[in-house]
Amino acid sequence: MKPSYQHISPTLGELVWNAEPTDELLSIQFAYLNYVQTNFSSTILEVRQGFTRLSLLWKNLASQQEFARLVETLYLNPEPLPEKVWQVPVCYHPEYGQDLEDFVKSKNLSVAEVIQLHTQGLYRIHFFGFLPGFFYLNGLSPKLHLPRKNVPALAVPAGSVAIGGKQTGIYPIQSPGGWHSIGRSPLPFFDPKQTPPVWAKPGEQIQFVSITASQFENWKDADTKNFLQ
Amino acid sequence: MSTNLGKAHLLRCPPGTSLQDGGRALGANYGIPRSGAMDLHSYHWANHLLKNPSQAVALELVQPGLKIKFEAPCRIALAGATVAVTVNQVGISNPSLIALDTGDLLEIGAFHIGARLYLCIEGGFQVEKYLGSGSDFVSITGTATRATGEYLHYLPTHSKAVLQAKPKWSTDWFEPETIQAYPGPDWALLSADQQRILLDQPVHLSKLSNRMGIQLEELVANELDDLPTNPVFPGTVQLTPGGKIIILMRDAGVTGGYPRILQLSEDAQSRLAQKKAGDSIRFQLLPTH
Repeated sequence: MKPSYQHISPTLGELVWNAEPTDELLSIQFAYLNYVQTNFSSTILEVRQGFTRLSLLWKNLASQQEFARLVETLYLNPEPLPEKVWQVPVCYHPEYGQDLEDFVKSKNLSVAEVIQLHTQGLYRIHFFGFLPGFFYLNGLSPKLHLPRKNVPALAVPAGSVAIGGKQTGIYPIQSPGGWHSIGRSPLPFFDPKQTPPVWAKPGEQIQFVSITASQFENWKDADTKNFLQ
Repeated sequence: MSTNLGKAHLLRCPPGTSLQDGGRALGANYGIPRSGAMDLHSYHWANHLLKNPSQAVALELVQPGLKIKFEAPCRIALAGATVAVTVNQVGISNPSLIALDTGDLLEIGAFHIGARLYLCIEGGFQVEKYLGSGSDFVSITGTATRATGEYLHYLPTHSKAVLQAKPKWSTDWFEPETIQAYPGPDWALLSADQQRILLDQPVHLSKLSNRMGIQLEELVANELDDLPTNPVFPGTVQLTPGGKIIILMRDAGVTGGYPRILQLSEDAQSRLAQKKAGDSIRFQLLPTH
């Protein structure tokens, strides 16, 4: 799990792992992330995480070159991942998941089977991307994989829970989107007025919990508080 | 907002006008785009003329038609596209740095050369900053653009502003076709033919361009699969499965799953921001380091 270092521009480069994104890889990425932030805080401008890369934006070429040399002989122990599991309520109903019925047909499953498969998994948050507050989650059952839609929807409502390819995710804000919406959560996922604007951190886990349409419709702030403890 | 602030009334605000600064560098950890001026070179120049603090908030214009009335004295600087400028309906021959008095009406007419104009004001427009930036981005500031009828706030100068310097703005730096780029992380995945298509001929900006990205007219036949989602930056050039070439700009998302074939230099991003639909560019590959 030792990464290589790839220069991109004089001030941009990335740590490269040619491996599948897993918990093990994430633990190693965290080790490098913490190492860089601790030891290069005066010369690094930004560290950005992806499934198989850590992108590093440097103040200048010299600091990038120094790190690139050092990384060749660097051995870091994996960081333990957080144990926190967030429960995320989802109403799996065609009213809230515009593509639920088509999805069920494409996969030749019943709605109950889709709910069962989607709620039984634990999903690891790897990083935020695509939209403000959008979790990149790992851990979707292969039985639920489905290529993205050919024609993206123009407006996917905030809170929509969707499947695209091998991934599942939650739209934190309304957006165009090419994933299949199978339900919606009543929780808020992004609020720029809060610091930080998101309530979960990379490395933590998400578990989806099925709720009924009437629970969704009667959702209260107090219910949100209960879930986001 | 304090009542001591000067007010600028947007009597007419053309579509696409937004407030921008150097961008929201700290947002990426939450999936928040960088944002900020598309042409940072011009933005920094105009702020430099005014001795502004870094991150001073400016107006970014992409179309003619701005009519703005200043209700307190101020100094402004313009850079980026060359445009027709009037103050109280009198043409200004060198509009790099302008002193305005109470009640002055500034109008921005035709764009002659370039696509984006930066209107900076002494001290910067006073807006609430989020994660170190006042740049408009809809899911952060609630609006992507400014609208006719709005007021912008600024720190007025105390007496009628006097100007000593007569700086001259030149657009020579962004007029050439050349756009310098480094090989992207996935450049090596391209075939020699694909690389040649990108480097040996001019390519053209399509109409599909905005603050998120600029799509090119040309297609590059592409059999590459999607890759694991990884970081992208302003200036990252992506190749889609359909063969489209998309150059990510300031409001692009912070990660992407398409092959990242080139990375524009900082300077090239500013040049590109001054190109219009139909303009040709020519990628020139720079050595990585």
